[in-house]
Amino acid sequence: MSTRELVTGGAACAVSGSSSSSSNPLGALANALIGSSSKTQERLKEIPNAAAATSHTQFYDDPVAALPGSELDHPFLQSNAQGSDFIRGFRTAHDNGLADAWDEIQRQPHLDRVYNAAPAPPIQPTLDGPPQRVLSSFLHSFVDSSRSGIPLHPTPLPLLGLSQGDKQCIRDRSSIMARHFFADKSEEFINSQVNALLSSLEIDSDSHAKGPMPGRFRELEDYWNESQGILKPGAHAADGWVTEFSQHRAQHGDPDAWAHSFEQQHGAGGWASEFEQNSKFLQFVSKMSRGELIIDDNQVKPASGSWATEYQQQFNGGASWADEFVHDEVSHGPAQWVNEFATEREQEPVDDQWVNEFSKLHVDDWTEEFGRQVGEGALGDSSSDNWATAYDEFLNEQVASKERSDASTGVYVFSDMNPYVGHPNPLKEGQELFRKGLLSEAVLALEAEVMKNPENAEGWRLLGITHAENDDDQQAIAAMMRAQEADPTNLEVLLALGVSHTNELEQAAALKYLYGWLRHHPKYGTLVLPELVDSLYYADVARLFNEAAQMSPEDADVHVVLGVLYNLSREYDKAIASFKTALKLQPNDYSLWNKLGATQANSVQSADAILAYQQALDLKPNYVRAWANMGISYANQGMYEDSIRYYVRALAMNPKADNAWQYLRISLSCASRNDMLEACDSRNLELLQKEFPL
Amino acid sequence: MPVFKTPFNGYSVKFSPFYESRLAVATAQNFGILGNGRVHVIDLSPSSPVINELIAFDTADGVYDVAWSESHDSVLVAAIADGSIKIYDTALPPHSNPLRSLKEHAREVHGLDYNPTRRDSFLSASWDDSVKLWTLDRPGSLRTFREHAYCVYSASWNPKHADVFASASGDCTVRIWDVREPGSTMIIPGHEHEILSCDWNKYDDCLIASASVDKSIKIWDVRNYRVPVSVLNGHGYAVRKIKFSPHRRNLIVSCSYDMTVCLWDFMVEDALVGRYDHHTEFAVGVDLSVLVDGLMASTGWDELVYVWQQGMDPRA
Repeated sequence: MSTRELVTGGAACAVSGSSSSSSNPLGALANALIGSSSKTQERLKEIPNAAAATSHTQFYDDPVAALPGSELDHPFLQSNAQGSDFIRGFRTAHDNGLADAWDEIQRQPHLDRVYNAAPAPPIQPTLDGPPQRVLSSFLHSFVDSSRSGIPLHPTPLPLLGLSQGDKQCIRDRSSIMARHFFADKSEEFINSQVNALLSSLEIDSDSHAKGPMPGRFRELEDYWNESQGILKPGAHAADGWVTEFSQHRAQHGDPDAWAHSFEQQHGAGGWASEFEQNSKFLQFVSKMSRGELIIDDNQVKPASGSWATEYQQQFNGGASWADEFVHDEVSHGPAQWVNEFATEREQEPVDDQWVNEFSKLHVDDWTEEFGRQVGEGALGDSSSDNWATAYDEFLNEQVASKERSDASTGVYVFSDMNPYVGHPNPLKEGQELFRKGLLSEAVLALEAEVMKNPENAEGWRLLGITHAENDDDQQAIAAMMRAQEADPTNLEVLLALGVSHTNELEQAAALKYLYGWLRHHPKYGTLVLPELVDSLYYADVARLFNEAAQMSPEDADVHVVLGVLYNLSREYDKAIASFKTALKLQPNDYSLWNKLGATQANSVQSADAILAYQQALDLKPNYVRAWANMGISYANQGMYEDSIRYYVRALAMNPKADNAWQYLRISLSCASRNDMLEACDSRNLELLQKEFPL
Repeated sequence: MPVFKTPFNGYSVKFSPFYESRLAVATAQNFGILGNGRVHVIDLSPSSPVINELIAFDTADGVYDVAWSESHDSVLVAAIADGSIKIYDTALPPHSNPLRSLKEHAREVHGLDYNPTRRDSFLSASWDDSVKLWTLDRPGSLRTFREHAYCVYSASWNPKHADVFASASGDCTVRIWDVREPGSTMIIPGHEHEILSCDWNKYDDCLIASASVDKSIKIWDVRNYRVPVSVLNGHGYAVRKIKFSPHRRNLIVSCSYDMTVCLWDFMVEDALVGRYDHHTEFAVGVDLSVLVDGLMASTGWDELVYVWQQGMDPRA
């Protein structure tokens, strides 16, 4: 059966007696494929493509018989396979003929004219009230999706002229209704259906939606019995959920804020069990809002180039802690400091931003390095004036911000509205999410775990790692510190803390933790003399690590830490040597290559750095950070044109890399490409990619 | 058996307490998600299996429920999806209708129930989590009952105690109220899923049934509400509406998203005594006539209204 026949309502698909007539192609298709009434099952069988759908074939065979009148015991739908993983569900649906047919329809050019109410081309039957019919048939398919079990596509529909109020109605009512008819499916399925409906109609699920019911107070049986008539009216909790998750991040304020808002929403002790169901919905929403999932080509897939995913893929315990922060943070010149991934990312004009980055450095380092780099003309003469001015302006602020940053470390800030609270095994969930690279979600799950078990060192540790890979060193440190409290001898934690503090250029703290690593290490503990603990000198720690390296030359971790340490003291040659040694032991560790490159770049061996970055990229072509670093290296060498291209490439992979945007801007102005500054400010990747291909 | 076709998707059907052959049907376009609505008042023809429409009232938004007045034979009340409640009089021409529009609910009004004992007041259950008490002559509500944590789908007066009613909500509880009391007098956390409908037994004032998204119907005795008297399983999907029979003590009828209307005797081991699968879409409304024993009506999203005698095939 050809698509055309489907579209025009060919003989095999005669539609009769249904309220959505076949007078419009979309409606006809919808009816033909899905139908609105009793014809549904027969027609579905007729369509060869539809029947070929893998996990859905069974729906057509059995339920046709299972419809009214049959055995009550048969579950109406044979499997919930597609409900368990909505992404898979979408892909499955995509694979069957429905998707192709929909796409075919979308491609037909005359559709545009249809909705502009222009005279129809001969192939079209006459239309009446097309937007209404489209909507009608689309809603029909939404409702019928419950019967056939085919997950609904987010299908781009033509402009239907829905008002805001209309959209709100659709959104709210379909959500509520979906919860009724899809009750035995997973929450994911329900919400994928609803979201497909909404996205097709271009409706956002925003804060004013009547979200799912927060859930029963399962643990409060007795409470129910005793509280007859005393039960406080439930707050209108549902509404708040979606908002919170659209915004996601906890405020950096009251660490107990989450507890308070939670209590407000659900009454004291409201550990609703429904959370674990709702969490998937909220997970979906939050993923969408954070760009971790995108609806592309009628599929939902993880956002490509997501930093989080990449980090996760390469996670290998301790080594990964010494991540790119290392090369970045210990920066030297005006060019090098751009490598730092500032924890406070502010959108400010170029000059100011540069100095914010600087603010993380110690004042001493600043003057020395700044002078040195400017003297070497690394950035060109014209820019040095800007730098000097900016530096003067922000000198005081730098001190202030350093104080601020010190004060804010160490206190972990929990996220509000955590859907994983009440989850039976949040640690496992968190580990799974982490493994999958869904870092923001993993954070929430792990937070739930440590809320439940504050002494769970592993939970805190993983939470810290997750934050680090998600670029939040503040939280990473805070979490790691809690992990350390819970388990003072955990080596990974100590190493991580050492690295984090190095990133933050808190030398003393870094040394303390790295020293602690040594001390608690079963092998190297013997090297450590207890009296050194109080006053740690860098030299001592470095010496100890060197001894450890001699003890076990095969231990890559030791070399990595050494490399980090040397970066701290700016002994780049030694750092490079250490990283190279580590790389000999772990040649496929892409992040190590990156560190090496960064160290080389910091030591103004930018040409070498590029080679190292290239190695990293060979191992991991989507390694956004390496691309960005390439850009930085080129910029360091004054090759701004090239650097721009690399930045653009990095940003194309991860448009959310705020730092890369800033570096790009800098390079643009250094290259005197002020014409593209606006494109940069407005994050117009398309334009930039066109202008600066690699 | 007569069938009536509505242009929009059926939402609710109610027999008139005054005329045994008259029914009101609430319908909404596009399944009530978006679009207009219409209230039909239909008459069964005594001789032929034909249903005639007496009058119809169009509304701007879907009509989710309808209820006949117990005090005036031509007056009915409609629950509209835009949150308003409209009062219609079939004796007046269409242009004089609606008599009144009561707009207080903040969200869709999903259920209505008219007080059969006092005959002067009715309840509205809304998705704004509240239940409101109204009379025909007042422009504003008399009471608002706000305790549920989620949408209230249905409210039902106790047939014996004129001031007592129950409400069924998506917060998985049934609450029992007395209009003389400020708050609910009893909370029955009856199900693990949303409860879409509740109804009192017409012969035993302590028995109440609840129907839920979990596909079951539970019968509760309010004197001992921790354990249900009976659990009726058999529907394949969420149970949308239930009604106890006004003529038989133990009979209860239900309609469900599994497109069937079922008849149960909850005192019997094998409770399902009748099953009607005439609908081809979700069956969302069902009613039993007070005036004619065994006469039942149902409507669904397939835009059909069936009226038939218990034991007969609705499609015959």
